[in-house]
Amino acid sequence: MLLDVKGLDVRYGRTHAVKGVDLNVAEGEIVTVLGANGAGKTSLLRALQGAVRPASGTISLDGKELSAASPAARVASGMMLVPEGRQIFVSMTVHENLQMGVYLRSDGDVARDLEAVYDRFPNLAERRDMKASVLSGGEQQMLAIGRALVGRPRLIMLDEPSLGLSPLFVSRLFDLIVELNKSGISILLVEQNTTMALDVATRGYVLELGRVVIEDSAAALSTNTALTEAYLGGGNETSALTTTGAQA
Amino acid sequence: MLLLQQLLNGVMLGSVYVTVAVAFTLTIGVLNFLNFTIPTLFMLAGMIGWALAYWGLPFEMSGPLPWPMALAVGIVVSIVASLIVERFTFRYLKTRYGDSTEHAIPLVSSLGFLLVLENLVRIGYGTDAQRFPGPGADLTMNIGGIFVRIPQVVSLFLVILIVIGLTWLLKHSRIGRGLRAIAENPDAANILGVDTKRVVPIVFMLTGLLCGLAGALFAVNYGEVSPQMGEDIGTKAIAGMVVGGLGSIWGAVLGGLIVGLIEMLTIHFFGADTVQVAVWGLLLLTLFVRPQGLFGHNSIGKGKL
Repeated sequence: MLLDVKGLDVRYGRTHAVKGVDLNVAEGEIVTVLGANGAGKTSLLRALQGAVRPASGTISLDGKELSAASPAARVASGMMLVPEGRQIFVSMTVHENLQMGVYLRSDGDVARDLEAVYDRFPNLAERRDMKASVLSGGEQQMLAIGRALVGRPRLIMLDEPSLGLSPLFVSRLFDLIVELNKSGISILLVEQNTTMALDVATRGYVLELGRVVIEDSAAALSTNTALTEAYLGGGNETSALTTTGAQA
Repeated sequence: MLLLQQLLNGVMLGSVYVTVAVAFTLTIGVLNFLNFTIPTLFMLAGMIGWALAYWGLPFEMSGPLPWPMALAVGIVVSIVASLIVERFTFRYLKTRYGDSTEHAIPLVSSLGFLLVLENLVRIGYGTDAQRFPGPGADLTMNIGGIFVRIPQVVSLFLVILIVIGLTWLLKHSRIGRGLRAIAENPDAANILGVDTKRVVPIVFMLTGLLCGLAGALFAVNYGEVSPQMGEDIGTKAIAGMVVGGLGSIWGAVLGGLIVGLIEMLTIHFFGADTVQVAVWGLLLLTLFVRPQGLFGHNSIGKGKL
């Protein structure tokens, strides 16, 4: 197992955001985590990257125990989080943003790795000395992913990458995720766009109120209509609201 | 001719404000924290420098030290004091209580450090101003009737060099990128492996260095130090920083110089009593007309490097 999470608990004061989550990602897999707003998906990813300290549970990457490791140590072992809302540094240039992706490294390969990202994203190459604030939403997402890629991670964790993107960019984004996966990077994908996520993923977990309620292959999850009804705030919930509205 | 002399004096005084204003800008820009210990760090370098140059090492371990060495030790003390403040206020509170401390608690605790240190120095050396045994009047040149003190010229160049060095560090070095990343988005910086515990002390070290240097320059150029020497300089440096624009280092440079010039010109035309009114009037006017300051690109209070 590349990523192996056991019994992970995350608490913020009295809020119990993640409750005893077991989750794993094998080498070369795309695994998706689904769930409604507030299900604990973002808390889970932040705990995995070390931005929040879990109350209990273990996290290991390729057998290496990382539960108490700093975010820096996790980056160095090959984990990289593309946070929700992209979180690029808008006061910095595109190039400086990418350099932040290899903040910990000072070896001779840095320049080559930066060029590799520019080869993949020609749009970014054209704008390398511009402030990141002038980029479009889609380009900013490319930059956020590019920043995660420079360090050649083994596992990329993406938190709602399609949020706020145009439909055209969303399909490009999912193409990119598949492409990255084919180049050997394992992916843990948190998404609200259930259909697209299950389309590219091999397996999926469904989170509800911090707990894993379903774990299955992506194919099985896509045909499971009860799933969308029960946990993902899908079609039925909306129609229920409409019905109530009509009655009132 | 007298006016020209006053302008020159204004620039020289301004260069002290500039150094302190840059120190304020650095902590505000990176940590969003108004560090009230800055005036104390400034005073420490001057007073420790004076004590060593006048008395020598404590417990009569040595006679009076040569003044440059005394000031160098004073600067080191100021850096160490700044790191202690980081360790016991900023870091302690941030790591223990996280961001729930917001900015009020580090601000108040730095104010506590200001008062404790200043009063300790008062207890140790008394409240009187002391004459600093620096270079004498022989280091003054008379250029066409204008008196130029060589230590002042040297310090002016030193200040310029330091500001250029600091801007280069922030712009082009890895540490500088880490600092700017923390300034803009500490959370994203953390996720990418920027270790706040390692980077933040650098800010405090630079703060101590800048304040110590400013205190040493002040002692050499004005020949007088006192436990309360930091108060006036500190508040005027804040005024300069805000006039120049929060979060902009070159704004702090320009603002510090403007405050120095205003001060000297006010003294020249209206007398010393009107200085505070002129400086703070300028600050209020700036906040009213152009709240982001001359160089500030962000809205007020959002100063980021």
